[in-house]
Amino acid sequence: MSYRKPHIEDQLKILLTQEEIEEKVAELGKIISHDYAGKELIIVGVLRGSVYFLVDLSRKMHIPFTVDFISISHYSEQTDSAGVVRITKDLDLSITGRHILIVEDIVDTGLSLGYLLRNLKTRNPADLKVCTLLNVEARRIVEVPVDYKGFDLPNIFVVGYGLDYNEKYRNLQFIAEYSQP
Amino acid sequence: MGIITISREFGSGGETIARFLAEKTHFLLVNKEIIIQGLAEHGIKKTKERLEDLVGGEEEDPDGRYYIEAMHDYIYDLAIRNDLIILGRGGSILFHDYPPALHVKLIAQFTFRVQRAMKLYDLKSKTAIKLIKEQDRDKRQYYREVFNVNWTNLRSYDLVLNTEKTDLEDAADIIANAYRIHAEPREIKNGPRGVDIEDRLFISPADAEADQFMHPSEEEFAHMLDFYRIRWEYEPKTFLLEWDSEGNVIEAFSPDYYLPDQDLYIELTTQKPKQAWRKNRKIRRMADLYPDINIRLIDKKGFESLLRKHSIDHDEGEES
Repeated sequence: MSYRKPHIEDQLKILLTQEEIEEKVAELGKIISHDYAGKELIIVGVLRGSVYFLVDLSRKMHIPFTVDFISISHYSEQTDSAGVVRITKDLDLSITGRHILIVEDIVDTGLSLGYLLRNLKTRNPADLKVCTLLNVEARRIVEVPVDYKGFDLPNIFVVGYGLDYNEKYRNLQFIAEYSQP
Repeated sequence: MGIITISREFGSGGETIARFLAEKTHFLLVNKEIIIQGLAEHGIKKTKERLEDLVGGEEEDPDGRYYIEAMHDYIYDLAIRNDLIILGRGGSILFHDYPPALHVKLIAQFTFRVQRAMKLYDLKSKTAIKLIKEQDRDKRQYYREVFNVNWTNLRSYDLVLNTEKTDLEDAADIIANAYRIHAEPREIKNGPRGVDIEDRLFISPADAEADQFMHPSEEEFAHMLDFYRIRWEYEPKTFLLEWDSEGNVIEAFSPDYYLPDQDLYIELTTQKPKQAWRKNRKIRRMADLYPDINIRLIDKKGFESLLRKHSIDHDEGEES
């Protein structure tokens, strides 16, 4: 296997700088802290992309809260026809009667988030809200409520700050548009 | 054994046509009643009223599977001693590998099928529409669950007959004649006339696949919706877009999907932006004429990004 040095500049166009993201995350942290003051809040991170955002966001919050994670299987072309989405890592905590904030890195089609909301709703939380760093309305297939959002993006493919392409680029501190070389 | 299989869209007159055909050919008509009766004689009873309900549930129903397998065996048994007309029951797939069989599909436009169902069962239009959509959906699911095939793929059939403009008895005559020609072929040629075998085109499976009633990307998208348990209908409605001075429709548009829970139409295009202008124009025209209808175009880029996010080597990727 030959090692090829990534020509990052060739494929990535920076859309949101580290500073812009930091500023927005701080702002969201403040608003959420205000809205959930005095409430028993569980922040639910959707693995894996949201981890980077969740960590930074939680550090900008000044109210007590609990963190939990959930992961669901995603559609692939190899999934056989009877295949349906399943939870690959469930929440460790019971969410019944608690205030739940789902944290996503990006909401685009709404397919998996829609499934997640339907699933979590059956567990009767006190309320269920969604916070996403990136929102791509142009790709929406299933309407999902987005209560807190960082940035609206057009119909493009992005990487960085938790978002990957074949597991690459997650650790970039900025968000960039990815185009195939 | 002579075999004619008839698959039909609900409301396209299949039962009547099959009865006429049985009279004309003296083949044994295998329909729902015959099978229920035949299997009952072997002590096998159906646990649910409709065949589709046997596989439709959230959980695997072993009794349902057993019934379906028994039904397939029973049909194969009948075929050994009889000439058969098999109405529905996945007959075209059961006898897919039996070349002498003639596989017929009866189709008709949605509105026509609604009208026929209204007349036949004395239904209000709303009820008839609901009934037909349910039937289509269940049938699609049945074919996928039991045979893992797409029942809307018209290329699996030898003869596709639109029953809108044909008298039902005439339709039976057409099928009977088609069977006669099919079963007694003229001299079989080695290949297309004037073409040496060596010169025959090689067509890659991917290209052949692309030439189907339902585009592979559309099928892929349908799989994806199923995966996330989103209900969908394939091309359920045609919107009229343009009329000439005499009021004749000259342009119409049938979006690929309707998602009833989202009340959203979706049109999928894998054409390059430059070639997609016609489609874009139709969608704009639709938005003008039908402002209350929600429609979304998923273009080549959007679809590729959807698949890329869901690609095999990325199946734990982030997507919402």
